[in-house]
Amino acid sequence: MEVQLVILAVSFLALLLLNVPVAIGIGLCTLILLSSIAGLDTTLVMAQRMSAANSSFTLLAIPFFIAAGILMGEGGMSRRLIDLATMLVGRFEGGLAYVSTLTCMMFGAISGSATAAVSSIGGVMIPAMERRGFNREYSVAVTTTAATTGLLIPPSNVMIVYAVVSGNVSVAAMFMAGVIPGILVGLLIMVTCWLTIHGALPKQNRGASVSTSEEIDADSKPEENLGAKKASPFKVLMGALPSMFLIIIVLAGILGGIFSATEASAIAVLYALIMSVFFYREVKLRDLPSVCLRTGVMTSIVFLLISTSQAMSWALASQQIPQTLASLMLGISENAIVILLLINLALLFVGTFMDMTPAVLIFTPIFLPVVEKLGMHPVQFGVMMVANLCIGLCTPPVGTCLFVGCSVGKTSIAAVTKSMVPFFVAMLVALLVTTYWPAITMWLPEVLDLT
Amino acid sequence: MKAFNFGLNKLLEWIVIVCVAGAILVVLWGVLSRFVVSVPSRWTEELAVILLTWTALLGAAIGFRNRQHLGVDYAFNKLDPDAQNLNSIIIQLCIICFAACVMIWGGLNLVHQTIASGQVTAALGLRVGYTYLAVPFSGVAIVLFAIEEIFLLISGQQSSRPIGDDVDRAGD
Repeated sequence: MEVQLVILAVSFLALLLLNVPVAIGIGLCTLILLSSIAGLDTTLVMAQRMSAANSSFTLLAIPFFIAAGILMGEGGMSRRLIDLATMLVGRFEGGLAYVSTLTCMMFGAISGSATAAVSSIGGVMIPAMERRGFNREYSVAVTTTAATTGLLIPPSNVMIVYAVVSGNVSVAAMFMAGVIPGILVGLLIMVTCWLTIHGALPKQNRGASVSTSEEIDADSKPEENLGAKKASPFKVLMGALPSMFLIIIVLAGILGGIFSATEASAIAVLYALIMSVFFYREVKLRDLPSVCLRTGVMTSIVFLLISTSQAMSWALASQQIPQTLASLMLGISENAIVILLLINLALLFVGTFMDMTPAVLIFTPIFLPVVEKLGMHPVQFGVMMVANLCIGLCTPPVGTCLFVGCSVGKTSIAAVTKSMVPFFVAMLVALLVTTYWPAITMWLPEVLDLT
Repeated sequence: MKAFNFGLNKLLEWIVIVCVAGAILVVLWGVLSRFVVSVPSRWTEELAVILLTWTALLGAAIGFRNRQHLGVDYAFNKLDPDAQNLNSIIIQLCIICFAACVMIWGGLNLVHQTIASGQVTAALGLRVGYTYLAVPFSGVAIVLFAIEEIFLLISGQQSSRPIGDDVDRAGD
């Protein structure tokens, strides 16, 4: 058994290193593992497992949230959210740093995509912050790290993926469990902004406050001298609220027991469609086929991963490998604090080079039995895992948010990394709190009776 | 072959578009029918899941053609162009190996067995075996796309790019 495991791990790493798509790497390794089991029609079993993994009504929420995110994000949502954030937090010294953070949180949550948040919000805010005296690397660091909070705050596709692979937790519980940790990460990033603005940054790099978003416009597009027309707070609120309302519909619908998560996501698509096509008129009817196509292909990327890794975890389970690994890990220490620390370190390492969805799919079946033996709730473990892998989205050598941030900010990864350090500290603090303080994640779902 | 693959890709794209739009409408109808007509319809969930399966499998083939699937390109980017070319060919061979073994061979077996077993879906009464046809169909498309890619790489018409370079990201 140990030999098989070593062969599996080595061949998987070799395939990854060769830049073979992760889903194919998992599939080929599973094929090798299954063919070592006597008396199985390997390819048939594999095809069966793959089709079974896709046939889930819960997973249908993923394409729907993607479609709603595309429809909402396509148009002027970033503009309206920046308006709202400016009204709320722009007036402080270095206000743009807080505006960036808050906008990224809102955009990330609504669109469900951290990279979309970095590119849409970063595209406006990074140049604006630079003109206000922040250095560019700092601006990229703020935007990139803040955007990952959208993966913790619902609706979030990675939470759905976790709910499906872990087997016995509901999507509703995962959604609610992510709310407080997501806001916590955002707050800690703002605290870090405050500390760096008032302490570490030289006076001239602190950035002035802003009171209206027209000032941001004037900054990001200096050639267009917009006549300063200050919008009333009411108007700003009415502009941004319909976008925020998407989150409310989904959460209220699920919590009220009116819809399932999947139905809520379909309602979200309908709402986003009405808003973007008829209300804001930013998406045209003839664009809809291409929205469907993008949705379909993005979905299939996640689903191919889900189906091959579900086949793999079936194969692993049939060989009792997760149990073997669990007893191996518990052999190192029985102490929950130590084991959780080790798991977090392992995930941080994995996150530096692997994307979030494959990491969740591969490591949930391996680590979940261990932490359950230690008495951790699967919901808390899921949130911890996502909070952990969010850090990996911003770290070199491979960090998708970092890549997008650097490309919209026109700077290099090497240059940004130093500015990232204080924000990594903030994210690590949030991760430790999520890991060792169950109430942060479990309080809300427990109060709502979801667990 | 180029023209054929182009046409095949267009066909897949339209099927995916119809499936996504269909799944949205079907689930919305499911919600509506519960509240408005207050007769919950059981077929909606079933049909939506079938449409999702087709979307996922055929979309995956399009994803391979566009090199949108997630990969770790750290080592790839450090190679010189010739080595990158060779690496790209190895990647395509791995893809062909998987698609041919599991999706075409295993998939056809699966279709054959389920049709033979006569299993039908609960609400719609569809033969389950036919819904699995998407597996070998997608497998054939993936293999064809990969073969074209290898030809382009060998003849030098296509510069090698890492997998996961140009990604519309969903989960993160």
